[in-house]
Amino acid sequence: MKKLYSVLAATGLALVMSGCGSNPVPTPSSDKSEILNEKTLCDVNANGIENVLATAAKYNKIAKANGVEFKRLGMTNTQYIDETNKALKSGAKKVVLLNKKGKATKNSVSVEYATQRACKFAVSALTQAQDGKNTWKAAVPGDGFKY
Amino acid sequence: MLLNIIKSTTLVALASCMLNAGEFNVQAEKDRKALEDYTVAKFQDAEKNRDKFFPYSTDTELKNNIKKDIKAEEFAMGNYAFSIQGQFSYNEIKEMPPYEELIELGEEMYNSNKAIQSCFPKTDIAGDYPFFSQSKNEVVTLTSAINDCLVKAGQKKWNEKKGKMPILQAYFSFQSMESEKKVDIKIPSAQAAAAYERGKEYYYTQRGYLKLSCATCHVQGAGKRVRNESLSQLFGQTTHFPVYRLKWGKDKVANGLGTLERRMAGCIKDQGQVPPKTNSEQMKELLYFMAYMSNGMNVDGPDVRK
Repeated sequence: MKKLYSVLAATGLALVMSGCGSNPVPTPSSDKSEILNEKTLCDVNANGIENVLATAAKYNKIAKANGVEFKRLGMTNTQYIDETNKALKSGAKKVVLLNKKGKATKNSVSVEYATQRACKFAVSALTQAQDGKNTWKAAVPGDGFKY
Repeated sequence: MLLNIIKSTTLVALASCMLNAGEFNVQAEKDRKALEDYTVAKFQDAEKNRDKFFPYSTDTELKNNIKKDIKAEEFAMGNYAFSIQGQFSYNEIKEMPPYEELIELGEEMYNSNKAIQSCFPKTDIAGDYPFFSQSKNEVVTLTSAINDCLVKAGQKKWNEKKGKMPILQAYFSFQSMESEKKVDIKIPSAQAAAAYERGKEYYYTQRGYLKLSCATCHVQGAGKRVRNESLSQLFGQTTHFPVYRLKWGKDKVANGLGTLERRMAGCIKDQGQVPPKTNSEQMKELLYFMAYMSNGMNVDGPDVRK
């Protein structure tokens, strides 16, 4: 009987120690933080260029820290924000687009457009990452993806 | 009594750990099998199943470019497993592959570097990476293992994307292919399973300003045409790395070879996002997941791609 007790106690202890019975793989949790509205936040006419650019810088910093910063044709959103800031300070009406080596290309966009794009890129990087936490499984064969 | 409990506890814990070791890959194995079933079903008869898998492809395209009844192991060739036209030009290039001299160069590099030889006494190891290191509690890729080895020996790190790194990896890959080695990725612990899951989430999550996930093109989009290229499939995608891309080697042959990290960074840029650093946890876990999806397939590298 003593042996039986000792085996039972040992089994219980061992199961607890080895983490048996618990799911070894954590399921991604959904964060219920507030969803940002890019249309309202990035409206240059309603908020003014400086404010929208500040919004872009604020949210892009978070996007960058979370590894979801946008990049378009070799130009990161940080570069969009920096180049727009430079244009605003110098009074230029256009923002010259950069190539992947950071050198100026022949292409340019208006300061308003660059500001709005930088803001939309910053905000949607975050909203997309937030949405992605709940939607990614829909693309996994054997999970949410049915065919 | 107490001694008995301690002895039995140790025995049962050890046995339990051994049993569990085989169980941490349960979810990964389910994922891999589901991906295999999906890929095989998709390419069984593209013309017949066009409504289900290829709604936007033309009949001519499906008839002339997509092979039928492809066996699971054939997908180790990447998109050349199914693309008839792609395979035609691939076979022509393979007659005199541009990476051949780079494999020889890789062998010379191996033979002349004592540190590398001591860290990697066996050279047919390409299928064993990435692995999860219990002591480091992180994924180790072949790239990170080579650089760690160099640093330990007081040598400078190599570029993780091109140059010496893929050249040495091409030698390892070639040796593995010659020895008929298979991709053999293990998930030995709960931490490893969690790393695998994070890699999987990264692969299937939409990102960048184009809102594409890797899966958009390489799972749901596999076999579909972008301009004149057929998109490759995730199932079997890592077996043939490092690859020589004609695009990369157009100015200098030695730059044509690239690591899997180089390719993935390019792919993530194409999605419209700043890619994670090549040696970051995110990148390594992404590669861990991808490599697991090719588990059991023949190592088939190095290879050539456009």
